[in-house]
Amino acid sequence: MPTITIDPITRIEGHSKVTIQLDENGEVQGARFHVTQVRGFEKLCEGRPFTEMPALMARICGICPTSHLLASSKACDDIMAVRIPETAEKLRRIMNLAQITQSHALSFFYLSAPDFLLGMDADPEERNIMGVVRKFPQMARDGIKLRQFGQRVLEMLGGKRIHPGWIVPGGVSHPLQADQRDAILAEIPEAIRITRSALQWFKGQIENFRAEVRSFANFPSMFLAMANDTNEFSAYNGWLRFIDSNLNIVADHITGTDYLNYIGESCNDDSYLKSTYYKPLGIAEGMYRVGPLARLNMCQSAGTTLADEELAEFRELERHSVLSSFYYHYARLVEILFSVERMQTLLNDPEILGKNVRAHASPNNFEGVGYLEAPRGTLIHHYKIDQNGLIESANMVIATGHNNLAINHGVFQVARQFVKGNKLEQGMLNRVEAVVRAFDPCLSCSTHAAGEMALDIQLISSDGEVVDRMRR
Amino acid sequence: MVPRTLLIGYGNTLRGDDALGPMAIDRLRTLLPDVECVSCHQLGPELAGQMAAFQFVLFIDASCEGEPGTVSLQPLSPDGSHAASLTHHVHPAALLELTQTLYDRAPRAMLVTGVGTSFDMHEDEKLSEAANRALGEICRLVPGLLQSFPAR
Repeated sequence: MPTITIDPITRIEGHSKVTIQLDENGEVQGARFHVTQVRGFEKLCEGRPFTEMPALMARICGICPTSHLLASSKACDDIMAVRIPETAEKLRRIMNLAQITQSHALSFFYLSAPDFLLGMDADPEERNIMGVVRKFPQMARDGIKLRQFGQRVLEMLGGKRIHPGWIVPGGVSHPLQADQRDAILAEIPEAIRITRSALQWFKGQIENFRAEVRSFANFPSMFLAMANDTNEFSAYNGWLRFIDSNLNIVADHITGTDYLNYIGESCNDDSYLKSTYYKPLGIAEGMYRVGPLARLNMCQSAGTTLADEELAEFRELERHSVLSSFYYHYARLVEILFSVERMQTLLNDPEILGKNVRAHASPNNFEGVGYLEAPRGTLIHHYKIDQNGLIESANMVIATGHNNLAINHGVFQVARQFVKGNKLEQGMLNRVEAVVRAFDPCLSCSTHAAGEMALDIQLISSDGEVVDRMRR
Repeated sequence: MVPRTLLIGYGNTLRGDDALGPMAIDRLRTLLPDVECVSCHQLGPELAGQMAAFQFVLFIDASCEGEPGTVSLQPLSPDGSHAASLTHHVHPAALLELTQTLYDRAPRAMLVTGVGTSFDMHEDEKLSEAANRALGEICRLVPGLLQSFPAR
């Protein structure tokens, strides 16, 4: 059977490829998303003191170190059985919101904007961030500034932009200073202006991407995200909840090790990325999605003024839940707006400068679980320790693993819609990459090189002949 | 008054001699307290806005190519040919191109490279003997280099 291989997928975080299988008439019969890099962090943590885990986990990735730092610290809090000081919790939430802001800005402005601004069919030599810089400099300046804002908050609090510290088991290592608070607050109005401007622009563009909205992983599925009693947007506190595509609650109040009863993990022969699934339904029926789309479908309100206005408009896209994964981009912008507004509220709280920011305790449990909403979706860290406080086992369930089944379904849906195997065109293959990009997968446990390697796509007939080839 | 010089040292401090750039910045901060310094893991587009406010930018990096322990100087001009993704492995010349395109001005710039021998992960996070020599040479060279770049 002829196979098209797109290797690597460009403008995502990490190394992966897509294979598309064609029949003899050039019609798409199957498509698969393969992750070609290995992550080994679960194993290498074994034997380390549990108190080292947050710092170790911050090294898992250059894009989402803060999310791992936070989830890991929450798992350690659970092992120590401490309730962290209120100020520390608020500071951690600010850190998480800054992480969401900078990561979403990277995804939207750097990685996906070339598709929106220059077109899915544009020359790949131009369809990149420099193409955006040349043709839409204001948008590029805004994107850089917004990401810089998120990074500056991380740097101010965590000491550095990449692999920050500061978040520790029991809270944070030191209090926030008034001049740091004021410096962050001073930048918030501009961050809000940029985000609202991008939202206005993107909403005006949706009509131009109707085919992509229809076919970019647009299908009913369950969604998983954190939830709470108020049904407000929650990225730090709460429990896990599954809903179906009609917004009905499927499973709720999942805490601690309960996740093992609801989330199954399956290894694949052709990928280093596990696929997770809703365990009660099995892998065949248990596909669900996480991340910005899931979170906006899950919550009833954002809890901040401007984001609530945007959320109301977002919900009008579809009758029940918003199903097209093309709208992940839209959801990301709404989440940035929420994050910046919420940071402002938290920073204006007088308690934010409180000096009591860390609880101290020895291990009181042999097991601990930390949940968090990372930019790309629900993140779970689960550790078991021995009597000396050394890690016996570590399990990390990562957002991109949650989405793996949906990404694969999406790749097949887009390939079937756009790829005609008798003659390859850049635009059709870019759409296959773009549906992967919509999920903003992050595959990394170390440094990586998005877009650096050459793209080499071969169309090979059933007798082994190269029918067509495209490189960039 | 527009600040005159920006020093940017970059590299992974956990990867042996790759830490040379950030370590040079640590020392130069003391030697040149009035000069703005940035130490970072890798170059990113966010530096462009900062660079636009300076007249001269000096990048300090480590290299595995060349005679170990030596230091080389390379004048830089804006060059967008390697700037397609701007997310990883950003070349300083691509950053200059970005600065020029977005802010209508690019500072004069130079890349100072010290050649190391070991870029593996070390527990002690120390530089090799060769990289240490290069580090000393860079810290001796840079103050004089800044003097030789008069304000425009």
